[in-house]
Amino acid sequence: MSDVTLESLTKTYGDEVAVDGIDLTIRDGEILGVVGPSGCGKTTTLRTIAGFETPTHGRVLFDGVDVTHVPPEERNVGLVFQSYALFDTMTVRENVAFGPKMQGVPKAKRRERADDLLAMLDIAELADRRPTTLSGGQQQRVGLARALAIEPHVLLLDEPMTGLDAELKTRLREEIGDLLADLEVTALYVTHDQEEAMAMCDRIAVLADGTLEQVGPPAEIYRRPANPFVANFVGSSTLLEGVAENGHVDLGFTELPVAAETDGSVRVAARPAAFELGEGSLEADVTDVTYLGDRTRLTATLPDDTTVTLHADGIDGYRVGDSVPLSIDEQRVHLLE
Amino acid sequence: MSVRKSATASVRRIATLASTTARPTTERERERRRIVVLCLPFFALAVVAGFVPLAMLVRISLAEDTIWMEGWSLEAWETLATTPAYRRVAWNTLWFVGLATGVSVALGVAVAHALEKYDLPAERIVVAAVSFPIALPGIVVAYLITVLLGRQGLVTNAIAVATGQGAHGLASATAITGLFLGYVYSLLPRATMVLRGTYAEVNEQAEEAARALGASRWETFYHVTLPEIRPGIAAAAILTFRSGLAIFGTVLILQSHQVVTLQIHNEISVGSYAPDVAAAIGLVYVVFIVAFTFVGLRFVDDDAVEV
Repeated sequence: MSDVTLESLTKTYGDEVAVDGIDLTIRDGEILGVVGPSGCGKTTTLRTIAGFETPTHGRVLFDGVDVTHVPPEERNVGLVFQSYALFDTMTVRENVAFGPKMQGVPKAKRRERADDLLAMLDIAELADRRPTTLSGGQQQRVGLARALAIEPHVLLLDEPMTGLDAELKTRLREEIGDLLADLEVTALYVTHDQEEAMAMCDRIAVLADGTLEQVGPPAEIYRRPANPFVANFVGSSTLLEGVAENGHVDLGFTELPVAAETDGSVRVAARPAAFELGEGSLEADVTDVTYLGDRTRLTATLPDDTTVTLHADGIDGYRVGDSVPLSIDEQRVHLLE
Repeated sequence: MSVRKSATASVRRIATLASTTARPTTERERERRRIVVLCLPFFALAVVAGFVPLAMLVRISLAEDTIWMEGWSLEAWETLATTPAYRRVAWNTLWFVGLATGVSVALGVAVAHALEKYDLPAERIVVAAVSFPIALPGIVVAYLITVLLGRQGLVTNAIAVATGQGAHGLASATAITGLFLGYVYSLLPRATMVLRGTYAEVNEQAEEAARALGASRWETFYHVTLPEIRPGIAAAAILTFRSGLAIFGTVLILQSHQVVTLQIHNEISVGSYAPDVAAAIGLVYVVFIVAFTFVGLRFVDDDAVEV
């Protein structure tokens, strides 16, 4: 496995900028999640690493070696697609053995490698079946086995769980996460599902409009978002306007002991968990209630008309129009830079 | 007794079917009526323009007097079966059209690949250039071949100038190579049209997966693309072969190879007038086409291609 470095990576299509000067390193053996809204450049970045797109500017390096202009077949990159992209005219075993075959691995050895991977992914009994006869989850396991069979420098997964049902997705997420960790595979995991990225990835890169907004471990991305976009895209946040002065931030309706680097206007991101219901001096009017099973999401308006999102216990019976007391936990708010 | 019962039950079933089709009450019956309405014009046309003339051909081929269609005779069929010249014509037709089909489909794969896989400059012009020969009468195709490869032809004279040889000896318009080019020129658009439809269904991500796994472009085509377009190739081959068998205008003008259509023409020409033999050849031709299509369709197992 290798580390992968993107240096000032830019890709344009005519006047449209798909990726704009991204600098990013996928460290050897880590799983880097790439999240962002549709059209933010996630897939273009992945395709550029795979070699299917040539960057307009910048470089792609594997272990420090410039591969920007190396064709896909010479990069030794494993690709796992959302649509599985299996070879329907081949059996499962032939699919998995295809990469080693292209690498010139002798027949007996590539068959053994395919069988080992199929056993590792718990689908050994499917070896002689055609992909079209398999379920979505089984096909995705075959896709993963096929990509791993070439012992790739880097594994690129493009929304591999999209389209699978929730239960299967959760199970597969754990299995794939464990497998990649055991194999110490360097992987880029593109997804629009933040929860999936949080659960599976060592670090997460957040993209918006082709630019890299923040990269860091999941907890850091969640707790210390770099800007309002990350605060709102990864999880949900309430952005509060305030004035910093002498180690405090005055939010109008309350003051928080949060130190800013300089005094003046600031923005504070508050996750739903920052609002504690049932105690405190603040009064908020509930304007929307969404029951989510294990919790209830409330939207409430503070006295100065600021709208906040908070979570209540799933069995609490809040209704629109209720007036609820709440407080803010200053440990759970983050001053945006 | 049981036969009579069975026949009565069949008649009742047909009557019920006709009645429910005429006055449907369920969605299934309404669908059946739509199918009947959609297909009725074709069947009417097939009866008038297809089945009736075919029946006439059968009668002519078996007539003792082919002008008044009187009497019965197997003479035409005996002539067809025992005359070596007719077997030669059949063989000439099969190998020539088969070869032209092979070349046209191979070129069609290349053209369809280029059109569907790459962003070509002036793609519409390329598509128009590739497809327009389909609208050309065979006689015009023969004329184009003559203009290029005849004694006064552009290509003939260019080669003559380049090699210092006489144009007379280089002219190939009325040689079998000229006719072959005419066939391929006419058949290529048909093959390309079918194959473009098939290419649109090819899983491009599977091709990308193959390349990421180390396959070169050629290996990707061979291992991934080709198996996917195989039904399209079979469909293109069937359509092209059938069309090739039917070419007449080009071969009539260039006259460099005796194929079945030219033979039928000769059989009903003044001087060698034998309409019963022509009818027998025509019937063999029709039976062969129908049988060939049925056999060929077994290799076309894909919704994306239609013949």
